[in-house]
Parts: sequence; structure tokens; C-alpha cells
Amino acid sequence: MSSLQEKLEQYRQLFNDLAAKTKNSKEVEELKQTFLGRKKGYLTLLFDELKQLPPDDKRSAGEALNKFKTEIQQALSELEERCRRPEAEKPPTDLTLPGKKIYWGAPHPLTLFQKKIEKIFVSMGFSVEEGPEIETDYYNFEALNFPPYHPARDSWDTLYINDKLLLRTHTSPVQIRVMEKKKPPIRIIIPGKVYRRETPDPTHLPMFHQVEGLVVDRGITFAHLKGTLDYFIKALFGEKIKIRFRPSFFPFTEPSAEVDIECLACHGQDAQCRVCGGTGWKEILGAGLVDPQVFKNVNIDPEKYSGWAFGLGIDRTAMLAYEIPEMRYFYENDLRFLRQFNRK
Amino acid sequence: MNISYDWLIEYLDLNLSPRELAKYFDQIGLMVEAVKEIDGDTVYEIETYANRPDTLGHLGVARELAALFGLPLKSPSWPLAELDRLTTELVDIQVLDSQLCPRYCGLVVKGVQVGPSPEWLKRRIEAVGLRPINNVVDISNYVCFSLGQPLHTFDFSQLKEARIIVRRARKGETLRTLDGQLLELTPDMLVIADESKPVALAGIIGGEESGISEKTTDVFIESANFDPVSIRLTAKKLGLMTDASYRFERGVDINAAPLGAKMAASLLGQFGGKASRGLLDVYPNPRKPKSVPLRLKRVGELLGIEIPEEFVVRTLTALGLKLNEQKPGVWVTEIPSFRVDLEREADLIEEIARFFGYDRIPTEVTPARSFELPADERQDCLWLLKEILFHYGFDEVINFSFGDREKEKIWHTGYDPIELQNPISSRASILRTSLLPGLVENTVWNYNREADGVHIFETGKIYFWEEDGKQREEWHLGLLTSGQREAKTWNQPARETDYFFLKGAIEDLFFYLGYEAPSFEPEDHSFFQTGQAVKISIKKEPVGYLGLLKSEIRQAYGLDKLAYGAEFNLEVLFDRQPRPFAFAPVPRFPGVVRDLSFLVDSTINFQDIYSQLKKLNVPYLERFEIYDRFEGESLAPNQVSYSVRFFFRHESRTLQAEEVDRAMLDIISQLKSSLKIQLR
Ligand SMILES: [Zn+2]
Repeated sequence: MSSLQEKLEQYRQLFNDLAAKTKNSKEVEELKQTFLGRKKGYLTLLFDELKQLPPDDKRSAGEALNKFKTEIQQALSELEERCRRPEAEKPPTDLTLPGKKIYWGAPHPLTLFQKKIEKIFVSMGFSVEEGPEIETDYYNFEALNFPPYHPARDSWDTLYINDKLLLRTHTSPVQIRVMEKKKPPIRIIIPGKVYRRETPDPTHLPMFHQVEGLVVDRGITFAHLKGTLDYFIKALFGEKIKIRFRPSFFPFTEPSAEVDIECLACHGQDAQCRVCGGTGWKEILGAGLVDPQVFKNVNIDPEKYSGWAFGLGIDRTAMLAYEIPEMRYFYENDLRFLRQFNRK
Repeated sequence: MNISYDWLIEYLDLNLSPRELAKYFDQIGLMVEAVKEIDGDTVYEIETYANRPDTLGHLGVARELAALFGLPLKSPSWPLAELDRLTTELVDIQVLDSQLCPRYCGLVVKGVQVGPSPEWLKRRIEAVGLRPINNVVDISNYVCFSLGQPLHTFDFSQLKEARIIVRRARKGETLRTLDGQLLELTPDMLVIADESKPVALAGIIGGEESGISEKTTDVFIESANFDPVSIRLTAKKLGLMTDASYRFERGVDINAAPLGAKMAASLLGQFGGKASRGLLDVYPNPRKPKSVPLRLKRVGELLGIEIPEEFVVRTLTALGLKLNEQKPGVWVTEIPSFRVDLEREADLIEEIARFFGYDRIPTEVTPARSFELPADERQDCLWLLKEILFHYGFDEVINFSFGDREKEKIWHTGYDPIELQNPISSRASILRTSLLPGLVENTVWNYNREADGVHIFETGKIYFWEEDGKQREEWHLGLLTSGQREAKTWNQPARETDYFFLKGAIEDLFFYLGYEAPSFEPEDHSFFQTGQAVKISIKKEPVGYLGLLKSEIRQAYGLDKLAYGAEFNLEVLFDRQPRPFAFAPVPRFPGVVRDLSFLVDSTINFQDIYSQLKKLNVPYLERFEIYDRFEGESLAPNQVSYSVRFFFRHESRTLQAEEVDRAMLDIISQLKSSLKIQLR
């Protein structure tokens, strides 16, 4: 009996010594065989010895032996676990080594900027609408008060599919689609792709993104248009940005306005500035009160209701905000460009 | 349009320096794009609008400034040196189409000495960006850029039978123009003809033969008005754009024609010219001035500020309108003929706002009577989808919606592509029918620029003709993964992407968007290597496909590395309701875990095993996980080993070991019959 207890103590000592030295799963497996091997394992041999003990001693020795076996099994499984994750276990030699990183994909800058714009308007109670990119002449032009064969159409150079269908040149046809379906009050923005038959240059491409805003209700005024756009532009570019409204012409708004912001590159200080051409201003959007003819085209009474609308080029505005010199960067999809925007 | 400071001074006594003047243009909507010094004059390059042909002449711009500054507008006098012959005795004018030519004025000027223009005239012509030619041509341009009334001058001796016939062209007629082009005319085009043939394309360009030359002594001045739409159609059809057509298609003041002719005749007097007596003016249907009502109350209602009545009256009067008061604050206005844009009350309100100053209109918050619920949950869904993919390390790209017809052919997308009538280039002549070609191009672009791996996605539309000939646009999602996914670091080797990375991302996409797990069935697809593609469906409805890109496709784009791609029809997805979310109580009693390892025939794929496990009907079984799978080595070649962990739980008490034992036996017997499993 005492000899078995002694052996047990020795083995425990031996196991702990060997366990401390194991470095990999192969050594752990060897250790396992040494103690639990079916034929020559130390513990197996001890169990064989147990059978020869007198019944009185058998019980207490058996308990001690079983306890030891559980101990070893638990220690072995911990060792195995450790070997599976070696670097987590091994005490690191240099705590200043870089940590492990997971790469997070980058949103496209235009998505990011559009999201930013949507957020501002959604916070003012606007909802987001969309519409088809393939349009008819009626929705893209006629309903928006572009007379047929009028030179006003020249600024909206069009890609045609056939005599009836074209690629929308602006997001404004969605105004018509929404007003046809819905009674005022209307409070929406419409982001999306638009197309023009443009020869590519630094600020023109045949496809770009626009966001359109439309409010229709009783008593809507030009002052409301100014107030909302003023807030929007400040939310986008910061409270100190200088904004100017000047008269313009769009067939579907009357009065019409264009909105300029101060040149973010030179703040009006550089007469040779390449961004603003020395004027100190950059045009960012067109706007106005909804033309009464547009209301008539969708059976809304312009005597009862009024409204405002605006349209903004997302690409060009993002170019100003991020100081991107050429529009084509957005569509080259160079990862060295795109990946900068997962930090925005 | 170039506007000269010195020229404006002919109409206006400005007491502002040329520099100071520049900022006032912007204020009234005449946007100055550049300011140039030309020969001591200051020239403003002004953006004009399609509805404001009156600003295409210096008089019109001067009128705007006069209204802004409250200055009187000067009207210079144009004295004539006259012949003793009447115009009607010298020339016969017949207008055969008064629809297309509502007014035609003509004068004959004899004894003109054609030669270079004097300095003052050359400066004017150069200021507007033209090249001085000779005094006669320069004078007609001077009148055009003063009044916005295009003129044409003919060599009178070249007009057969001294006749002017304004008519439609006859089939087969041609005209050699001043710049040497031979135009083939069609009967929808209006021409100026003499007795025998067309001598000018009405309102667009004159003919070579009847043009002014050094030998010319007698000049016929045409100052006419033509139908805007007809001019536009003809100019477009022939691919011509001239200073004249630019003005006529916008609408020239019908009452400017007589003054235009007189002004030119008077100026020709400086070069010996004597004008025929009595302007010949063919104007069979004189137009009545438009009248537009205006309510002061409405001005305030739309602008959001009360505008003083005195300001309204003064501004509109200065702009040439006549206001007839009906009752206090209500007028019927008479619109001058040069303002073709003013037709409705809203147009007048814009004029008032423009001169009042947009900066003086207050800024107010747009009131809301109600807030709307988001109209379209797609937007949120789309953004969540993107966030899941960012998390998986996919970068977002946006490609043009155009496609290259030839290149798309190798994809066999199965869609009838929509072709553009007037594409920018042959490489962008159709609308794309798949997002993957764009993604492959992006991949090649980036591999050529130092990338070791490309993992990208795009959400956007594809476009095609439906069977019934209707156009269709569909939101799609395209994914592509190729090359290195994780770079080598000090504690980890580099990792390449693989099929299961992409599949995992897709499975999670469905999970986090709240859709049920889709099924993946091996099925060949034209984009992918044979045997390396799966069709993805929800409840038997196909939503997309996934696979290893075909090597022929990779070769066509010069993509050397393997690439895995997937494309989804988001419309199918968005049309389905995600599973409604419901909170489930956190379990209060411990669960029991049991493992089971078994062998199955290797012809049974994972999805079949998974769906059989899903179908198990066993008490207390909460869920299961397949945590191991292997084949080969110790196993027979037609066998695969799976290990599954089952989780059991009773919601209101602790489970007994025997209950779980029984459940396990039940599982084994069910799997034995459904999958013919063998226990290990
Ligand atoms: Zn600048």
C-alpha cells in the first residue's frame, strides 16, 4: 500500500516536471502515452498493481489512483488546448509588436457622401425615394416644362435609347412620378445615377450622381427654400461656410436660383485659383420654387399649393468636400483611392 | 455671350468702374464667368439662359442694368441718307410662309463702298469675339450684338429679278453657303430665294453667291423674324449653329426687325450708302402684346417677404412692362415683345425677386405638417448589406452603367441588352447586363497597380429588354474575390482567398439581412468553370449564382489570377419580407450536449445532410452544429465522416441523462433511415 502511494507521489512529480517542458502537441501526445498508454503507461501499470492489493487497501488506493488519473487527463487536455493556440500562450518576447488586425472594407466615397446628405435630410423629416434611370421624354423633359425643340434642352445633353426612351439626364423626373402618386404634403429627397452625353473632362463624365429635394405643401415660400438649403450646406460643410443665392433659370422652377459656396481651396484669396477660377465661389446646386406648369402637369393646384425643389451633383460636391481634383477617380475604382475612405 | 463695357455705355451712363460693375451682373442672374481686358475695353463673359434671348444683345443687358440702378436707358437715333426711290420700286418681297416667317423687313442701300471697318467698329466686333471682315458684314454683326436681331446682307446685284421670296425649299435644291459648304435642302426648311434659287438658309446662314464681296456696291438688308422651332430643326438637321440661329431658336423680339434694318442702313450711310425710302415691312398678322395678371399679395406669399408696392411698380416698369391697376395691389401687365420668357404671374414674381435681391429674402425653416415614414425600406436594407460586406473586408466600387457589346458577349448573360442610339463610344454602346464584367475590369486595373488581392462588390442596376419588348432595370449585387486576402505578418502567414470565403460572406449576408438560409445547388453557369458553380435560391426561387470565374473570361480581360465571383438579383430579395424578428426568452435551465460521429456515402453532399438534420423530429433538440468533416486516409474511398454536436434543452426543467440518451437513439435511427449513416 505505502509503496503504491509513494509511487503515485513520484509519478505526480514526474508528470508535472515533464508537463512543464512540453512545447507542442507531439510532446503532449508522448506524455500522454507515457502515463496513459494502454500497455506500458505508468498509470496503467499502477492499475495492474492495484488488482493485486488486498481488498481492504484496494478501495482507498483505487480512489487515490482515480483522482490522479482525472488530474492527469485534465492537465493533458489543457496542454493540448495550449498547443493549439501557441502564440496566445507563449509569453510574447516584445510587447510592442503590432497587434492582429482585421481588414474592414471601404465604402465608395460617393456612397459615403450620399449617405451624409441623406442623413441631414432624414433628420429634417424627409423620406428617400427612387425612380427609374431609363425614362421617357415626357418625364425627363415635357412634364418638367421643357417645351419640345426648345434650346433649354441643350444643357441636358441626352443619351437616347430610341425615339421614346432615354437615360434620365437628372433626378427631376422622379419629382413628377412622386407627385403623380401622392398628395401633398410631400417632403422627399431622391438620390440616383444620371446620364449626359458629355465628353469626359476633369469635371464632366457621361454618368454621375445627383440628389434631388422636393417639398410641396400649402404656404411654402422662397424663404423656406433658402432656410433649408442654408442649414443643409452648413451641416455638410461647417457652420462658417459662406453661401450665396443668385438668380438662374431652370424650366421646372420659377423663381430659379443657383447656390454657390465659397471656394474651399482659396477662400476667394487667389485670383489664379484653379478650383474657382479666381471668382472665390463654387456653384453647388440649382433650386427654385416649383413652376406652376409642373404642378398643373401633375394635377396639383398651384393656387392652393406651392413648393420648392433643388438638385445637387453628388460627385462634384464630394470633389469639393474631399478636394478631389478629377471626377474620373470615382469610377476608376483604384483601391489606393477607395481605401482612403474607410477612414472617413 | 461677351458683353463690352464701352458698348454698354452707348445705352447707359454708368458711374461704376468696369471692375465694380462685374459683381452686379451676378446679383441679377447674369453670371460673369470671366472678365477680360481687350484693347482698353473690359469684356464680361456672361452666362445667358435659354429663355432670355433679350440678353444676347447689349441693349438687353443695358436694360437690366438700367432697371437695377434706376438709370434711364438711352435710345440712340439712326438718321438715314435716303435715295429718292421707294423700297417697293427696287425690290419685290414675297413671304409665302408667314407661319415660319412672321415678319420680314427689307431695305436697299445703294452706293456703299465696301472696305475695312473703322477702328471703333473693329473694337466692337473683336470685343464679342468675332473677326472683323468688312464694313458691311461688321455692321450687320454690330446690329445683331446690339439688339439681338440677326441681320443678313445680300449683294443686291446678285438677286435675280430683284426678288426676295421667302418659301420652303424644293426637293433637290442645294445651297453653297458663305463658308463654302454645299447644303442639301429639304421641303421642311425655310429658304430665302430669288427668282430662280435659294440665296440663303433663312435665319441660319447666307449663300456664297449673293454674299457681300469687294465688288458689291448695292446692299439688300434683311431684318426678319423666323419661327424658333423651324430654325432649330433645320440647324440641328444640317449640324449648323450660327449667331443668327442661336438667337432665332430662342425667340427674337418680333418688333426689333424694323429698327435692325434702319440701324444697319444708317451705319452704311457712313460709307456712302443711300437707303431706299420706306421700310418694306411684311407683317401680315401683328402680334398683340401678352398680358399677365399680377397680385402683390401673391408676391409676398411665394417669396416669404412683403415687397413694397412701389418697388414692384418701379422695377417692372423699368423692365419695359406696362402695369394697369385693376384694384389696389392687383394689376394686368402688358409684356414688352422682347421678353419672350414672361408669360405667367410666377415669371413676374421672379423678376421682382431678382431685382429685390435673393440675399434680402429671409432664410426660414421649412415647416412640416407631418413627418413621413420611410417610403422605401430598400435603402436601409441596401446600407445594411454594404456594412456586412465591409465587415468581410470587401471594398465598394461604382462602375459606369455602360457595357461593351463585344466584351459582354463572352459572358453570355442571357439578357437582351439595351443599346444606346448615340453612345459616347463603341466601348460603351449598351447598358450593362451584369455587374461582374465591371468587377473583373476593376480587378485587372488594381492588379496592374500593386494590388496583391482584390475583394470588391458593387450594388447597382442592370438593364435589359424583356420578352414583351419592355425595358427593365434591376438592382443587382456583384461580388468578386481574388488573390491575397491577408498579408503575411510577423505572427501569421499570408492567406489567399477561396471559394468558401465568398460563400461564407454570402451566407452571413442572408443571415444578417434576416432572410432564411438560401440553398446552394451545384449547377453550371456561363460565367464559371464547369463543375465550379452553384445556384443560390431561397425557397426554390433563384436569387443568384456563385463560382470560380471561367478561364476564357479571365483571359479575355488579362486577369491571370483565379477569381471567384457571385451575382444576386436584389429585386427578388427585396420583394421578400425578411423573417419577422421576435424576441425569444433566454433559457433558464441548463442544456445537454451530445456528439455524434458517423460515416455517410460521399455522393451525399453537405446540404443534403444539413437539410436532413434540419428535418429531425426529436424531443428537446434545440439546435445542432456540424463541427468536423473528413474523408480519405483511414476511410473507404466512398465514405465521408461527419461529427455533429447536438444541443438539448427543456424549457422548464433540467433534462435527465436518460431522456437525452433516448433522443440520441432516436436521432441515430432517423439518420440511419434518411442518410444511411454508419456510426463510427
Ligand atoms: Zn478658389
